[in-house]
Amino acid sequence: MKYLGLVRANLGRNKLRTLLTGGAITLAVALVCLLLTMPQGMNALLDDIASNTRISVHNKAGIVYTMPASFTRRVRQVDGVAAAMGQVWFGGAYEDDGVVTFPNFAVEAEHVGAVYPDYPIAPEHLADFQRYRDGALVGGQLMERYGWKVGQRVTLRSTVWPVDLDFRIVGTMNDDQAPFFWFNREYLDQALKAQGGNGLDIVGMIWVRAADPSQVNAIMREVDEISRNSEAETAAETEKSFFSNFFGSLQGLVTIILVVTSLVVLCIVVIAANTASMAVRERAGEIAILKAIGFGRRSIFGMLLAEVVVLATLAGAVGVGLAVGATGLLQMFAGWSPALGPLGNFIITGPVIVQGLFLSLFVGMIAGIVPSYGAARKPVVEALREVF
Amino acid sequence: MSTDDTPIPVVAIRGVARHYVRAADDVQALRPISLDILPGRFVAFMGPSGSGKSTLLNIISGIDRPDEGALLVAGEMLNDLDEDELAEWRARHVGLVFQFFNLIPVLSARDNVALPLLLTKLDRAERTRRAETALRVVGLDHRLDHYPGTLSGGEQQRVAIARAIVTDPDLIVADEPTGDLDARNAEDILSLLRQLKNDFGKTIVMVTHDPRALRFVDDVYHLDKGILLEGEDAERAGAAIRMAAGGHVGGGGHP
Ligand SMILES: Nc1ncnc2c1ncn2[C@@H]1O[C@H](COP(=O)(O)OP(=O)(O)OP(=O)(O)O)[C@@H](O)[C@H]1O
Ligand SMILES: [Mg+2]
Repeated sequence: MKYLGLVRANLGRNKLRTLLTGGAITLAVALVCLLLTMPQGMNALLDDIASNTRISVHNKAGIVYTMPASFTRRVRQVDGVAAAMGQVWFGGAYEDDGVVTFPNFAVEAEHVGAVYPDYPIAPEHLADFQRYRDGALVGGQLMERYGWKVGQRVTLRSTVWPVDLDFRIVGTMNDDQAPFFWFNREYLDQALKAQGGNGLDIVGMIWVRAADPSQVNAIMREVDEISRNSEAETAAETEKSFFSNFFGSLQGLVTIILVVTSLVVLCIVVIAANTASMAVRERAGEIAILKAIGFGRRSIFGMLLAEVVVLATLAGAVGVGLAVGATGLLQMFAGWSPALGPLGNFIITGPVIVQGLFLSLFVGMIAGIVPSYGAARKPVVEALREVF
Repeated sequence: MSTDDTPIPVVAIRGVARHYVRAADDVQALRPISLDILPGRFVAFMGPSGSGKSTLLNIISGIDRPDEGALLVAGEMLNDLDEDELAEWRARHVGLVFQFFNLIPVLSARDNVALPLLLTKLDRAERTRRAETALRVVGLDHRLDHYPGTLSGGEQQRVAIARAIVTDPDLIVADEPTGDLDARNAEDILSLLRQLKNDFGKTIVMVTHDPRALRFVDDVYHLDKGILLEGEDAERAGAAIRMAAGGHVGGGGHP
């Protein structure tokens, strides 16, 4: 610690270089901290949209494959299942160009309330939904996007089924995370029969609510067991993992970003190492003199390494501070508008701060070790001979 | 060789030699040399470039090690010490002054002088106090807070000398301390070294090309091609140097 004055003086030697190197480390550490919040932020996001007790059941081959409609009834009989609701992808296009612009499903109206007790659906809307065969429940975002009002009629032209259906919007789910359009399964069934078909005998996805979160795993096992020997094997997942599949590509992106970040960190190490070896080289004469007057290998090594480590750690601390400030700003924005709400999930937690600081320390160590060791190891005669 | 009234030499060299292997060449920088330097003497090594002066000085000050021979300096057999032990020994027993790069440019004169004290157990206040005392001895007590860049060459060399004496070493070793200075400053430095010898009884070993030094030192050794000249050879070398200096420097005319 006696050398701290010397370390500080040496850092002040080439202020611009110290500042630039420090700045690079600051930015990199801030970036890494922000990225470290992503997996956690995503999980928090998923937690927000998924309740722990909901399970999705779909064909094992993938969510575009279907299961026999009767399977929903069998799932309802499984122990611990509080409610289950089958849903079928309608693929309805609202605009004339025939493009599906929002998810729309045929659901079992009488089971919606039991499967989604946590959804903010007004009781009278739910009652109307069950009463009117052509009723539709529409997510708040969607209502806003198209300027729809409750009571209004809209027509969707299916891209999957050979029917166009005319709906009456009977209610809305004022939930940002449910931008769906739900309508009564029977309505589609009858429309198909009217066309001379067999009606709706399949289901695309079954949403199950467990009576108790502790039963979720047992239910998933049991459901998959029942389906094992049937014509459509199923895969049951908790809602959270189902959504994270949806988010999967996003997480792939996160992986890529993390890889890129690691490369950035590597670059920073190289930059810092370059600064350190430049500092060591241009001070060769002084270092030789220090050795001559009795500074041992350990003192020289410690002094030079401390210089890089102090710089990296200070710069890293500023970087962590920047990241904290940035997420603070995000949270502020999140408070301004509900649409920005999810941003509030990206929080720099204690562990991220610690990781950021350790990363900086690590960068300093790795960058400083080689040049410092090289300078310290050189015998004093050689060091002197090289400069005189 | 030492009887009761002969003081123990600060430097005792017996058959010390050093050669360097460079590529295919084998450079004999120093042929076996024996010599004693008694306490309180101001000794100069002179000789042409490449004659082995710095090599000998580095060996005496524990910076380099001989290939052969025995070496007792300030009571320690330097042959027995490894690189780290030598560093520690130097810090305690030797004050070093070089031709350039002596000072750390980002430290004040005071902090530069206090540097060797970082290796001791002294606290900060005591280190500062001793550094200031050393700077007073070299006549720079009005430059304590100056940085090397704002000091003249002569002043910088004085700071280096203050740093060399701040640990109160047994031996001061200087390799061409006036090599970079003009005539006036060179004389000032030589007379400062002389004063350290006179006032504090320091033993000083110096390498120099400067004939002016003859007026200040007690003993002159001449080196040529790694050999310590003796007898007639030494006298001839001495005469040549006095000639070069214009004849008006006497052999022992120091104060
Ligand atoms: N590390 C080394 N490797 C190879 N040769 C060396 C090394 N150190 C010194 N020498 C050689 O040893 C000889 C003596 O060198 P030394 O530095 O002692 O001379 P010097 O008398 O101090 O000369 P100068 O007056 O130029 O400083 C020279 O020929 C030099 O080239
Ligand atoms: Mg030399």
